[in-house]
Amino acid sequence: MAKKRIGGYAGIWTDEHLVVEAARKVHSMGFSKFDAISPYPIHGMEEACGIKRSMIPYVTFGAGTFGLLGGLWFTWWTSAVNWPINVGGKPFFSLPAFIPIIFELTILFAALSSVGALFVLCKLPQVDPPVIDPDLTSHKFAIFIPENDMGYDETKLDQLFKSMGAIETKKVAEF
Amino acid sequence: MAGSQHKLELKVEKFVASANLKTAMWVLIALGVLSFIIGLRSPERLWPAYLTAFFYFSCLGLGGLFFTAIQHIAKAGWSTSIRRLSESMTSFIPYILVTGLILLIGMHYLFPWANEEVVKSVPLVAAKTGYLNVGFFAVRLLLFCVGWLAFRYFIVGNSLKQDQSGDVNLTHKNVGLSVGFILFFSISFTLFSMDLLMSLLPTWYSTIFGIYTFAGLFQSSLAFLALMIIFMQRSNFVKGYITVEHLHDVVKFLKGFTVFWAYIAFSQYMLIWYANIPEETEYYLMRSQNSGWIMISMALLIFRFIVPFLALLPRGLKRNENHVILVSSLILIMQYVDIYWMVYPNFFHGHVTFGFIEVGMFAGFAGMFLYSVSSFLSKNSIVAIKDPRLHEAVNHHVTY
Repeated sequence: MAKKRIGGYAGIWTDEHLVVEAARKVHSMGFSKFDAISPYPIHGMEEACGIKRSMIPYVTFGAGTFGLLGGLWFTWWTSAVNWPINVGGKPFFSLPAFIPIIFELTILFAALSSVGALFVLCKLPQVDPPVIDPDLTSHKFAIFIPENDMGYDETKLDQLFKSMGAIETKKVAEF
Repeated sequence: MAGSQHKLELKVEKFVASANLKTAMWVLIALGVLSFIIGLRSPERLWPAYLTAFFYFSCLGLGGLFFTAIQHIAKAGWSTSIRRLSESMTSFIPYILVTGLILLIGMHYLFPWANEEVVKSVPLVAAKTGYLNVGFFAVRLLLFCVGWLAFRYFIVGNSLKQDQSGDVNLTHKNVGLSVGFILFFSISFTLFSMDLLMSLLPTWYSTIFGIYTFAGLFQSSLAFLALMIIFMQRSNFVKGYITVEHLHDVVKFLKGFTVFWAYIAFSQYMLIWYANIPEETEYYLMRSQNSGWIMISMALLIFRFIVPFLALLPRGLKRNENHVILVSSLILIMQYVDIYWMVYPNFFHGHVTFGFIEVGMFAGFAGMFLYSVSSFLSKNSIVAIKDPRLHEAVNHHVTY
């Protein structure tokens, strides 16, 4: 990727309770672009970081509705309008026979759009922030504050992280 | 856990049925007995109503045990604090045996294959008498009830024993027992619904019928469980153990099985519609040619699937108690309509018939069901207090 990932300052913890507390503190101080990194989901973390509900469910619902109506229209148009064929003496527009198709299209559109929306909202495949510590995928937790966040000050952050029980703090350079 | 969750207040008290609930129970039971006595004068009217109500509450009782069993098999932690509520529903199972034996009296009014003349005149029915005969029917009914009672005795019994001893092995034992129950239940409930509902029209058959009735059973049981959770949250007997998080997960289950019911109902309908074989279409013709029945068939589609599905879709509404009460009540009503829809077209020359006897029989069974559930809860702790996974349920938290 040609685009530069933004650098910042990170604190590293080995206790999940402390990192949740730290996230809550950082959030209450007004930082809004920070990220908490953990090898597994932590209960209460999304609330501590002040993360609002994702909009993916609405995308899913909208795309599912589109698939439903689109499937209904398409089966009607192909079987009753554009190329009517008598199948077993049933009416051209036989809803029971079309429901599986409509259902599958609903699911297909809903599922693919959800995945698509996830990629867009998470800005995948770009990984941000850069790798801070390889142990963050096994037993350590981190809070990363990018340097473009409001009130970014490395010395203050260093003190803050240490006072919240961080075992290590480090500057993460942009790359 | 996060700071806000440290100050959890936990409390369980003994459940005491309020005076209003007790009065309501006895009024319902009295109404049932009264309508049964009145109904004995016109038995052809009484027994279909009896069968409908009997099947409805058998489903709720068995649904409680089924829910309990799948929680044990999945080794679920989140549901341990509400498991006792589903266990309390199983206390209706002994009543299935007793009321099932009473049903045997009315068999000749219900089942065409139990009538000599029908068997003699219809060769297709006569060919099925190897399975559909009074003696074997009674034996099967008895066998199923005894099996369910035995599994209930061990699975719920182990859970109650754990309240005293706190022995972790009881939890392990229940896993094996639950596997056994599910295997037994899948066969016994399929045959139970075939015996009681499908054989009302002995010339008709559907291989998916047992799954169809099971879908209704589980959907209605979850709706009742959701109502019990809300009742317990609003009462003062228990605090901290049963929360909106548990309600949310049960309602997710409820929504899932609303879709499952529609899926199975449609599967049954579409294959019969497509194949268009007279032995099979008979069933749907009876439910679509008369203007009353077509309305009820459409009502099932709309109020048993479309409305609850859309109403349970948004997250916020799954956590809204008043909303869940409305939707669960709708599902419980539609479960009655569904069983009514399976039973009644076979009687009264296909006319839609509903009156005091139907209401009275339902009330009588409802009274018995509420009595069995509330007496179970007042005898035992509302929460499985020494379950080794209880801490998971207390800290249960549904993420976005």
